[in-house]
Amino acid sequence: MSRLKARDRQALEYLYDHYSGALYGVIFRILKKEEISEEVLQDVFMKVWDRIAQYDAGKGKLFTWLLNIARNQAIDKTRSREISKDQKTGGIDNLVNRIDNEDYIEQRIEDIGVQEILKGLPREQQFVVEYLYFKGYSQAELAEEFNIPLGTVKTRLRLAMQHLRTTLGAT
Amino acid sequence: MNIHEYISSGVLEAYALGALSEQERAEVEKNLALYPELRSELAQIEAAQEKMLMQAAIKPRAAVKAALFEKIPDHQPRAKVVPLRPEQNNFWKYVAAASIAMAVVTSYMAVHYRGKWQNTEASLKGLIAQNQRIAQDYDQVNDRLDRIEKDLDVFDNPAFRRVVMQGTANAPASMAYVYWNEQTKEVYLSIQNMKELSKNNQYQLWAIIDGKPVDAGVFDADISGLLKMKDIANGVVTFAVTIEPRGGKESPSLETMQVAGNVVKG
Repeated sequence: MSRLKARDRQALEYLYDHYSGALYGVIFRILKKEEISEEVLQDVFMKVWDRIAQYDAGKGKLFTWLLNIARNQAIDKTRSREISKDQKTGGIDNLVNRIDNEDYIEQRIEDIGVQEILKGLPREQQFVVEYLYFKGYSQAELAEEFNIPLGTVKTRLRLAMQHLRTTLGAT
Repeated sequence: MNIHEYISSGVLEAYALGALSEQERAEVEKNLALYPELRSELAQIEAAQEKMLMQAAIKPRAAVKAALFEKIPDHQPRAKVVPLRPEQNNFWKYVAAASIAMAVVTSYMAVHYRGKWQNTEASLKGLIAQNQRIAQDYDQVNDRLDRIEKDLDVFDNPAFRRVVMQGTANAPASMAYVYWNEQTKEVYLSIQNMKELSKNNQYQLWAIIDGKPVDAGVFDADISGLLKMKDIANGVVTFAVTIEPRGGKESPSLETMQVAGNVVKG
């Protein structure tokens, strides 16, 4: 960590090798386009490189900090591209649309990946995790669009994370 | 603060996800510094989050890493220089962003104002045309007013004598006036009611002096206001109008007489 703070290129490389996959998993699922996602991933690491001095371990883990940057950057990108709500929404009509899409197969495989990880959770908790982490929704957006009270969104996320602690063995 | 309630509200999960507002975030950070229980709870949430996302990882293409590290400077900068870099970077980013924003705004305004200018030009043309029409109307009205004012001078002038010419048996409904100034010899004619004639014919005004008709000029039925006729000298007893071929004749066709009236001596 101190090497990173001293802006050691090798330290950044280590960080990249270790975390780029996890961050790219989030970015790509939010943006769904390889080229744009790669661009955002690079922007994220440039930002990390520039702002590493601002990271404060007292406020959370390094990965949390990285995730927050990556998720925000990806969400900003969806807004700057003016991606409409219906593209975000994964409803039935969208599934039909997506069949025509060239990255449909790739997409489907990844969705199965996330579902595999979340399969032990009740459906409504899976839904909340999927939308908040992999579709770039804010809690307020999720509550509004699907008519779930904001408090319920928050507690469902809490229950899901508790559940994952045991299923993923992270204690 | 009830730690248990705070934890079960789910606020720490939202914090770990990065889904809180700046204000809420600062609040959580303040509490984290105060309560070790919150820190250990957060650590567990973060660990679960990291595990989940590590499992959901997608490996980016190798080219991405190469492209990224090309942008990262090779040589490790001296520690003292470090804080300056991000600001420099940001400065040029802001300059670029500002330039682009300016360009976009300028283009938009150019298009916007061109549209406005074209509209303005069109309405200006309309207004100029309208203005010309109004000026023409004004000239016409002014001409009419001038004529009426001149006519009024005649009506008002006591030196003019009005001679009423009543319809004869040929045209009982017809009527016309002559205004005659004996001193200046001016004669004006005003039609009250005279029928339209064919194109070949015209009315002719005669002044009867010492029993002899004197030509006072020709006129058509469609005049309005006063029509100046030929000057006539003293001694008129009667004014009369006959129908003659267009242009008039030297002596009247008395059988066509339409109106006639005697000069009433004042």
